[in-house]
Amino acid sequence: MGEHSKSEWNLLLPVGLMIFFPVIRHLLEFDAMESAFLIVAVPLVIFPAILILGQLSKGEDWWKNQLKEGGIVALAGLAITLSLTVWLIIEFYMGNEKLSQFEDDAGVLSQGVIFDWIQFEIFDGATLLGTSTLSFGLWIDSVSLVVLFVAAFLCFLICWFAIGYMNTDPINEDRNHRFFAEFVLFSMGMFGMVLADSFLWLFIFWEIMGLCSYLLIGFYWEKPSAAAAAKKAFLTTRVGDVFLMVGLFMLYDLYHSLEFAVIFGDPTLGGAVHGVDLQWPLFFMFIGCVGKSAQFPLHVWLPDAMEGPTPVSALIHAATMVNAGLYLVARMFPLFSEPHFEGDLSDLAMLIAWIGGITACMAAFIAFVANDIKRVLAYSTMSQLAYIFTGLGAACWFANEGYHHLATVAFGASLFHLFNHAMAKGMLFMASGSVIHEMHHAHDHAHGHDDGDHHDFDPQDMRNMGGLASKMPVTSIAMMLGSMSIIGIPLIGGFWSKEGIVGQAWNVYAHGGEMILFPAILVLATAGMTGFYMSRMWFMTFAGKPKSDVVEHVHEDTQWIKTPLVVLSIVTAFSGFILACGNFVHWLAEPYHYEPFGELLAHPIDAILHELEHAFLPEENLLKIVGWTAILLSAGLGPFIAARMHGGRLADGEEATPLTNWLISYSGSVGHTDVGDLATGGFATALHNRLYIDDAYEWVISRTIMPLATICAWIDKNWVDGAIKGIESGSQSTSTWLRQFTTGRASDYLLMATVGMLVIVGILWGVA
Amino acid sequence: MEITEYITMLGNPLTVLILLPITGALLLMLVHWLGNDERREMLANPIRYTNLGIALLMFVLATFIGLEEKFGLAWGEYLYQNCEIGAVSTGSCTLISSIGVSWHVGIDALSFPMVWLTTLLIPISMVVEWDAKKGAYFHSLILMMEGALIGVFVSLDLFVFYVFWELTLIPMFFLILMWGGEDRRYAAQKFFIYTFAASVFMLAGILVMYFNNDASWVGNITGKSFDFVLMDTSTNFIEAEGLRSIVFLLMLIGFATKMPSVPVHTWLPDAHVQAPTAGSMLLAGVMLKMGAYGFLRLGVTLFPDQVIEFQTLLIVLGMVSLVYGAVVCLGQVNLKRMVAYSSVSHMGLIFLGVATLQPLGIAGAIFMMFAHGIISPLLFAVCGSFKHHYHTLEIDSMRGLAHHSPWMSAHMMVGWMGSLGLPLMAGFVAEVAILIAFYMAFGWWVLLPAVTLIVTATYYLWSMQRTIFEGGGEAQLPPTMHDEEPRDITWHENTGMLILGVLAVIYGIYPDFFGMFEMMSDWATLLVENAIYPPEVNP
Repeated sequence: MGEHSKSEWNLLLPVGLMIFFPVIRHLLEFDAMESAFLIVAVPLVIFPAILILGQLSKGEDWWKNQLKEGGIVALAGLAITLSLTVWLIIEFYMGNEKLSQFEDDAGVLSQGVIFDWIQFEIFDGATLLGTSTLSFGLWIDSVSLVVLFVAAFLCFLICWFAIGYMNTDPINEDRNHRFFAEFVLFSMGMFGMVLADSFLWLFIFWEIMGLCSYLLIGFYWEKPSAAAAAKKAFLTTRVGDVFLMVGLFMLYDLYHSLEFAVIFGDPTLGGAVHGVDLQWPLFFMFIGCVGKSAQFPLHVWLPDAMEGPTPVSALIHAATMVNAGLYLVARMFPLFSEPHFEGDLSDLAMLIAWIGGITACMAAFIAFVANDIKRVLAYSTMSQLAYIFTGLGAACWFANEGYHHLATVAFGASLFHLFNHAMAKGMLFMASGSVIHEMHHAHDHAHGHDDGDHHDFDPQDMRNMGGLASKMPVTSIAMMLGSMSIIGIPLIGGFWSKEGIVGQAWNVYAHGGEMILFPAILVLATAGMTGFYMSRMWFMTFAGKPKSDVVEHVHEDTQWIKTPLVVLSIVTAFSGFILACGNFVHWLAEPYHYEPFGELLAHPIDAILHELEHAFLPEENLLKIVGWTAILLSAGLGPFIAARMHGGRLADGEEATPLTNWLISYSGSVGHTDVGDLATGGFATALHNRLYIDDAYEWVISRTIMPLATICAWIDKNWVDGAIKGIESGSQSTSTWLRQFTTGRASDYLLMATVGMLVIVGILWGVA
Repeated sequence: MEITEYITMLGNPLTVLILLPITGALLLMLVHWLGNDERREMLANPIRYTNLGIALLMFVLATFIGLEEKFGLAWGEYLYQNCEIGAVSTGSCTLISSIGVSWHVGIDALSFPMVWLTTLLIPISMVVEWDAKKGAYFHSLILMMEGALIGVFVSLDLFVFYVFWELTLIPMFFLILMWGGEDRRYAAQKFFIYTFAASVFMLAGILVMYFNNDASWVGNITGKSFDFVLMDTSTNFIEAEGLRSIVFLLMLIGFATKMPSVPVHTWLPDAHVQAPTAGSMLLAGVMLKMGAYGFLRLGVTLFPDQVIEFQTLLIVLGMVSLVYGAVVCLGQVNLKRMVAYSSVSHMGLIFLGVATLQPLGIAGAIFMMFAHGIISPLLFAVCGSFKHHYHTLEIDSMRGLAHHSPWMSAHMMVGWMGSLGLPLMAGFVAEVAILIAFYMAFGWWVLLPAVTLIVTATYYLWSMQRTIFEGGGEAQLPPTMHDEEPRDITWHENTGMLILGVLAVIYGIYPDFFGMFEMMSDWATLLVENAIYPPEVNP
């Protein structure tokens, strides 16, 4: 495979050519906004194309080796969407003046109606209120651009990764086209959701993602665990989605429209809508977000979703689906900041923050004991998304209480964390995929393909790893940078946004929101816990002596896997710092007030110093204390304990790259603690069982709705139908009489029917 | 009676739509019946193809009628000019002058979708069950049913309407009796007697309406008329309000049984489980819609005040059907029975949509009829092919269907997803329309149908998990296979299912395709404006 992979760069030629797609559109005198619908349309066309081509030509050489069973087609399509997205961003950024004719004062591009979905009249009693149209159009502002870019960029890289990951595994042979087709449809769902200009279409694409997650998690459908996980993911999110739908009905009833332009244009609808009216719709919509973004208490699907292939985990848990819930909350933000509703929605904002705080802490606890490398990342995802919810809750609270500037900062920090987390987590999942892939192959290599003990060995279990740093230099560096970003090591990636979120959560407390104290404490504590479990994962995987003989045979292989890791390493390492200095946080919330990068380009030193001072030496004492506590906990205490428990030098003769070697030496020098006792304690058992939440749900369902269904089916058969049967047997004479005619021969019946009809017609004719 | 009058009527496209399949089917059966064995053998295939040819011709004809209406005339205006709720009357002639029966056919935005759906489903169901034994009779009976069904949807004379209504039972009765499963005799009788008994109530209602429909100027013996348009144009043609309520309830019994609504639904699962594939496709796809159509045409249109009066009853019926039907689905172990109960559940939404008295809700209800008419035949086609290839319908009897029958699994997934209301598929449009209107009318009660959507998703996903998924590398086959080699569906089954699946998606993305949602919405608006809140009440 090694020599083979070198020659595969030429396969990327068609993908590279796709970058010129926007250029061609431009030469044809379309602008970016007019081309934006293609971001949804291109994947929508590619999806059936891959499916049909794959079904027709699976197994053929050109399909398998030249097009990678559809992987290259998918990648080319995603290259188009990515380049269109970049074009859109450039036009949004450069052309503020030029595009201002489309903009209202909220910094929005919107391309009216693309097509009308359904149209109808509304009555209030007997009074005709008017015609209402549910149509599809595009809406682009700073929020959608960020989420769109994250999705397009990561989908592209994950697809690239998937070509290496999926196509080298014989188990996937001849069905990879299904994977790539569903992958593309999934991306379509995310792009559509982000670009939609109404809550209705946001919901429609939201559900498409639900379908695709079902299909992708259940990709290995023959495994009972995968089939169950897929069902669980769909149904759990469906619970949230149904409530979201109810929320939309309520919102529609208030505004008689679900379009952003109407709802954000005048949230009060000329004074007809009051803040209290909005509490319930927004609450129900938030339940949908809780389900989609896997927050307590609808989080149970996410860890199980790891049953899907690793690229799917990266896709769902970094690039797309889990961000959907955050995006929807961010979309509700303008309603919170309407001065007319001041104070009415602050309870809901608190609820958002509470859900975030509880989930952050709970997920981090469970991650303490997870031994499956992907499950650690899954719980980490839940925890980090919960941070963003806390931040958005704080932002909404500030906005609703009239602290406009603080709301801006908290909102920007939350979305910034979304960006940082997506980049880092996408990379971490791919890096873990790289580890799993190589462990799997090494195991096959060491033990042969069919020696029967395949099922005893779990390539995802970190207890089989250890000391991989020297075997997989690129992966180990990528994983280190990703973990640092998630932990919030100063200056790297997520540090900037996490400090902002924790700080603003405490700031809410300082401004009179006492209720936030609990989640604020939780997110602060979780910062330290994040430091522990992420470091634990890295040390268990890469440091210390190998824990199984499989590790000997591990080596990094194909460029398909390495390239995305390198790209994302660079992005993770630097983007946080650059964007933070570029005033990204403020631009996100108020693109029309702030010019991103203007200051950074004009006075780079001043801008950087200003940002550093802001981050490390804020003026308010509270923020200073909270910020430094978070830094000490996450960058100091957590990793230190993890290093003592799981760290250690590599085996003799093994050498890691300089970039990771310092960390391994450090972990080897802090000593060693035996944690055997801790891992068998009662609390650890509870954590292993995910705090028994899944069990409780199953218990309740199996004792309420399932017996009810059986009873209803019984009642229907014996009582409802039984009553009819009673009537039947009561009218014996009728049935005896009828039985004479059921001779069982078709010709008899037909004859009788025809004769009968003729007689009737004849009689009637005679009467006439 | 002028003979030319009849000849003109025979040239009427709607008359052709009714009489062509019935006479065609009778002739073909006669030809087959008259021949000796050798000739039957020889004629089997030509008869099959002729049946399909007539069915396709019918589809083309119906499509042309639709195109003419869509592009030649604006539905809304044309409807309004004609009569209150706008039956586009295309002609009539006297049939039995002494008692005021006439051949009066017409088509409007309520009946056109149903007619088009019927002409669409008939060839598809023929193609899906192309290999049926005694195909000459089988396909001819289906064709005959097409004529009867279209007769129900386009007749504007209640006498003729009733005749066609009962006529649909006959081919279906034989389809179940001769091509059904093990328990077919019981199922066929039950189906026939049950629905026949219910329609007696409807007949009673029709007769009351007839005797109150004054047409003395025509000068026949009774001085009454069965003409629907006449009833519709005179406001409250039955003067006594109590009598109106009684008639409305009589009609409701007849139509609710056909739809079917809880508690008079139990004929449906039995009939479906025993019916042949094509039979259950048509049963679910079109015959259930006869109930909903009749309710909208004769119940809501003629007795709008009673709809308001019995609004609560409608909601209770709809809600119980919806919720109870879904819960019962969850408890089923038989695939086809589960799908049959899901029809009961979905039909409940139609009552809910009508009860909102909002154009959106009523349009949603009509669209539900249409969408369910596309999706449920797909479900039953899948069930049928499952039975055909695996000789069982037990959900738990096998694992890993996707391994042996990837196409069948794919269609199953498309159908199941469409039926549980996945966005961008037709069922979602109807659900969203009905539920939005329902919230606007009844507020928080919407939580009940909404939560039912979770139950719906549960039983569908659970059944998929237990049939097409799992099973490891080698699928576990049901014991009924007896070491037979499992196969995927045949190409004609595949074609039929593919068309239905694609249509479900097209109507989900663009509900206005072929003007469907638009015309339903117009019809519903006219109904609300002119019948439910007539102008003199509306200041």
